[in-house]
Amino acid sequence: MRKRLSIYFWLAAAVLMISAPTFAHHGSIVSYDINKIVTMEGTVTEFQWRNPHVYVMYDVKDAQGKVVNWGAETHSPIVCENQDGWTKSTLKPGDKITITVFPSKIGTTRGLLAKIVLNGKVIIDDTGRGVQAGQ
Amino acid sequence: MRNYLAGSIILLAAMLALSTVARAQTEDGQAGQQAGANRGRGRGQANAPSPTANLPFDPHDFSGVWMGRSEAPIGRLSSKVPAMTPWAQARYDAAKPGLGPRAQPLGNDPIMICDPIGYPRIAHGGAYPMEFVQTKDRLIEFFDFFYTYRTIYLDGRPLPSDPEPRWYGYSVGRWEGNTLVVESAGFNDQSWLDTDGHPHTDQMQIEERFQRVDHDTIEAKMTVTDSKAYTAPWVTSVTWKLSPKQKMREDLCAPSDEAKYKQEMREPAAQKN
Repeated sequence: MRKRLSIYFWLAAAVLMISAPTFAHHGSIVSYDINKIVTMEGTVTEFQWRNPHVYVMYDVKDAQGKVVNWGAETHSPIVCENQDGWTKSTLKPGDKITITVFPSKIGTTRGLLAKIVLNGKVIIDDTGRGVQAGQ
Repeated sequence: MRNYLAGSIILLAAMLALSTVARAQTEDGQAGQQAGANRGRGRGQANAPSPTANLPFDPHDFSGVWMGRSEAPIGRLSSKVPAMTPWAQARYDAAKPGLGPRAQPLGNDPIMICDPIGYPRIAHGGAYPMEFVQTKDRLIEFFDFFYTYRTIYLDGRPLPSDPEPRWYGYSVGRWEGNTLVVESAGFNDQSWLDTDGHPHTDQMQIEERFQRVDHDTIEAKMTVTDSKAYTAPWVTSVTWKLSPKQKMREDLCAPSDEAKYKQEMREPAAQKN
């Protein structure tokens, strides 16, 4: 019992330490439920490589087969570049992605970007953001 | 068992404290803090010894591209917040920040409509590089954040006695030994002091003491005095690290970009049509 508690304790410590308080003055992170993640298969429709935040718009088929357009935002371009090596051409319309987001608290088709897999490669992984509740 | 738990808690507290120091305290991410020698998220690299720290340097020459790290927690100008006057408290209560403990959706941070961020808040936007360009009689501080600058005059002129208020104020500097003492005044009252929404008046005065302590480091201590807003000065500091590999970009806040972001992301995330 003590051993198991200890493992959870140090796991929690590790997660807290590596979490990056990286979002954003432009008033958005509080709109997302960072205790929940949603993963979707999508097709990029728009890639906004600009201030204040980089974001990607993408089409997703819902359970009924209807195409719904989603949007997921991340850091400013300089942080995306320094942290993940992103450039203006990292994503382009038509790219097929597996995308994970922290969804909006009110259930709209917007999310805070957690992870994208493009052509089998993880191009961003901010799932550690999930412990930033209250930021 | 009790000793074990107590020890673990102390160790955890120490680790968290250290990790807080190691993490950047920035407005929009800390990845850039590692710029130059390290690319990454500040997970331990921050305290790695720099191979250039012991190179010779001129303590009176600040030229170069630097990345700053504030001593303050995220969103704050300093770790200790002085007591506010009733005027400041009312302004603070009306401020709706987008980051920090008081964050709320669709806030009213002036930079969300691309107002200039102002000084000293810009000096704490540590994800972005700053370049010092120095001449004989002036030091120009170019900020990539908001793509702006301020001039610190080193030619012995006084601060203007009745200045036209500015977002970035007026600054004059003098050397006291190896410390550059910079006095600033003449600010308008339109910018926030920090992301948390602390206000200031047009009577705000700032004293900064910059010291290049080694080839790679400038320590900048800052005292912000504004007696119409606070009962005591704000005291804070930024450590600037030489980051020659960091690129100066063009981190403008363009109103049309901001409006598009607001329409496509901020508002749909926060409210249903």
